[in-house]
Amino acid sequence: MKTGLGQLRNIGISAHIDSGKTTLTERILFYCKKIYRMHEVKGKDGVGATMDSMELERERGITISSAATNVTWSGHQINIIDTPGHVDFTIEVERSLRVLDGAVLVLCSVGGVQSQTITVDRQLRRYGVPWIAFVNKLDRVGADPLKVTNQLRDKLGHNAVLLEIPIGLEGKHEGIVDLVAMKAVYFDGIQGEIVRMEEIPAELGPEAKKRRAELLDAASLYSDELMEAALKGRETQEQIIEAVRRGTISKALTPVFMGSAYKNKGVQPLLDGVVRYLPNPAEVENYAYDLDHSAKQIKLNPDPRAAAVALAFKLEDGPYGQLTYIRVYQGEIKKGEGLFNTRSRQKLRVGRLVRMHAESMADIEGAESGDIAALFGVDCQSGDTLVKPGLNLAMSAIYVPEPVISLAVLPASAKSADNLSKALKRFTKEDPTFRTYIDPESKQTIIQGMGELHLDVYIERMKREYKVDLQTGMPEVAYRESISLRAEFDYTHKKQTGGAGQFGRVTGAIEPLPGKPYEFVNEVKGGRIPREFIPSCDKGFRAALRKGKLIGFPITGVKVVLMDGQSHEVDSSDPAFQAAAQGAFWQAYAKAKPQILEPIMKLSVEGPVEFVGSIFGSINQRRGLIVSTIEDGIFARVDAEVPLSEMFGYSTVLRSITQGKAEFTMEFLKYARVPAQIAEKLTAEHEEKNKKEKAK
Amino acid sequence: MLREELIKRSPLRILETSIHGGLGKGNVGVLASRKGVGKTACLVHISADKLFQQKPVIHVSYSSRVDHIINWYEDIFKEIAKSLNLESSADIHEEIIKNRVIMNFNQEGAKTEQVLRALSAMIQYGKFAAETIIVDGYNFIRSSPDDLKKFKDFAAKIGLEVWFSASLKGDDPLFDDQGLPHELKRYLDSIDVLITLHSVENLVQLRLVKDHDYPAPAELRLTLNPGTLLIAEP
Repeated sequence: MKTGLGQLRNIGISAHIDSGKTTLTERILFYCKKIYRMHEVKGKDGVGATMDSMELERERGITISSAATNVTWSGHQINIIDTPGHVDFTIEVERSLRVLDGAVLVLCSVGGVQSQTITVDRQLRRYGVPWIAFVNKLDRVGADPLKVTNQLRDKLGHNAVLLEIPIGLEGKHEGIVDLVAMKAVYFDGIQGEIVRMEEIPAELGPEAKKRRAELLDAASLYSDELMEAALKGRETQEQIIEAVRRGTISKALTPVFMGSAYKNKGVQPLLDGVVRYLPNPAEVENYAYDLDHSAKQIKLNPDPRAAAVALAFKLEDGPYGQLTYIRVYQGEIKKGEGLFNTRSRQKLRVGRLVRMHAESMADIEGAESGDIAALFGVDCQSGDTLVKPGLNLAMSAIYVPEPVISLAVLPASAKSADNLSKALKRFTKEDPTFRTYIDPESKQTIIQGMGELHLDVYIERMKREYKVDLQTGMPEVAYRESISLRAEFDYTHKKQTGGAGQFGRVTGAIEPLPGKPYEFVNEVKGGRIPREFIPSCDKGFRAALRKGKLIGFPITGVKVVLMDGQSHEVDSSDPAFQAAAQGAFWQAYAKAKPQILEPIMKLSVEGPVEFVGSIFGSINQRRGLIVSTIEDGIFARVDAEVPLSEMFGYSTVLRSITQGKAEFTMEFLKYARVPAQIAEKLTAEHEEKNKKEKAK
Repeated sequence: MLREELIKRSPLRILETSIHGGLGKGNVGVLASRKGVGKTACLVHISADKLFQQKPVIHVSYSSRVDHIINWYEDIFKEIAKSLNLESSADIHEEIIKNRVIMNFNQEGAKTEQVLRALSAMIQYGKFAAETIIVDGYNFIRSSPDDLKKFKDFAAKIGLEVWFSASLKGDDPLFDDQGLPHELKRYLDSIDVLITLHSVENLVQLRLVKDHDYPAPAELRLTLNPGTLLIAEP
């Protein structure tokens, strides 16, 4: 089916892990007639919700991969990207967000705004994605949608406005009052599929009037027409919708919907809200870099007749080969036509083009600007830009954080080793934050990722999906080395052992460079080092940075200033100056007060207030720095900065000290100096290891 | 300028001299004025002064945005570092953050017992040896003298000092002829030092109206500079 851009929405559903996102998605698919049965997340019927496509996710009750699915609601096509809820997988969230035009943020009416909500909100802000809120679980004991709305205002600083109020809460939750239509809405039928509109119950009249007035006040700011009409008491539904839509798209207003997905209440009005208030692809400006004109930013044209530009945002290896999810930003991608990958500089042909629905798919002939589809059998990486041949554009790269934790994996047999390499090939292609390499010294396979849980999930998948029998080493933190003082060097590399000699002299200094890995400044004058050997020096310094002398980790935050040097007509060469630079670096490094840096994580722990003492203690024992605490009623949140090296096994510890009632999120914050005592220990361990290896 | 010199030259030394050597362990100090005059700025400056001296501070607040409070500190730190050309300010900044914890409570929900319980958990289990507690946004209208006494007893038990801000909301005149705010009179037994803030011709004057048990409080020659939001000599 072809639809105009005005009838298209690309949305994500983002949420805290237990706020019922998967159940909500399931209900949406059901009401949009994409599925004909409903399952629960941890399905008693053993089937599991349709969007969780992997066995492991089913077992853990969490969603890891962001499968895309397409539904139709009141004449509009909605592409839904299911986003994962745990912060260890935020690359998946971020990749999904990149291609969204709008989002639904699901909140639990009891838990409200939690640390994960704050993370997701920050990510949505980074990509400028407007969102509407759905306060879920109104049937739960302690449900308080007003409190949650206030939290959106106070904790997230959103101008949150109620578009609905509940009819009854907890066990008495019956439906909602639509403040735009000023009608009570009930959800009849076995699965809430029949929407019944009634007059507002008398006892809710005053509350509805009050909230409607608040809504009009807030929405009037975005429409003079509505303001005038409201003053005369003659506002129409269309006027309100248009004003709320403008406020939402400009990210100045956040409409709040509510209900209980589990009890089949409030989902259809939310779908109306998606169509009414979230932007269509033409209302969002997207940019690409023009690689032919020094990567100048140019605005893309959503016109389907323009030349095609698409972004590959997600890869999945399935039984039929690689499936590449793409978002089309300009023009149209048609079956049988050629495309050009501007990163790999390779041409490719669109063989099969499909529209995805969780695990099933439908073949399509073309995907127009704004649409999300999947390509079959195309070899590319996540983040690649695919264009009509002749264009040379790149969509801005998706921000990929560096991994902070690594682990050795040891397959038990040759067969397992084979399977392991297959699994690694697939996972690294799908997830840019998951990396692997062979350690040149130990010859072990090392995997790297964003946290303990991140690696755990992949190890589980290796075991289950690829039948790899393996053992794992202790997780290791990605330390760095750096310098704290400026130090000068004057180094001559000279070798005369028969044949051609080697000669190169370099002088200059190394300086601390906070916030950047490396900078090379050439101040050599008068050709004292011939121009062709300056890059050799740069190369030599870079080579030295790869492995520090303290504990063998990469060196970062160094500025090298090359000031002077000397060369020899015959004996100077590229290798000679590379060697001189390396020698010079180590000469200065020892004087520059080198230090060890470790990754510091931003930790956020949430739990009942009676456990704050235990939580404080657990953070303190881990060299953590408590930055702030928030107590709100019975819940407390503790924000802290903690070294990653101290956080292994924290989930088990936290569970046991809080009777399983607290949870935490963690993400990389910065690199910071390791305390002297620990630095000594690490250096001693490294020396010990070196000695052992030499003895071998 | 070096940190030592900065501490020595801080206008807060004038405050300390005027109140006979400082607020003191086990004591409660209150800064009172109408809303928007500059209480939070004064409290944060008092706190920053302690932090410069490497003395740990717990900042208790009843507004729900922690980032706002952090910004207060960042602004005041930048202002001090800039105006006095502080040496190695990045290291000092890092140290300051280490010595500061912000604890935020919901105004409606948090009872004094709960706040004190959280504070002692932070000191005991969080191993945070606070010497000063700053309490911003405490509701003196809704609380009782008994609540403030609990804070004072807590301060005495742990051996620390507590500075509060009090927002005065009553009708004029706010103060009696000795300069004491009418609204705070019922709390005077638990207040050791009381300073009121007054807007006078583009400046905010600090007046000392109660100084421990001394009968006649000294004249405080201090103002709050509305540009830098720092306490300064007039």
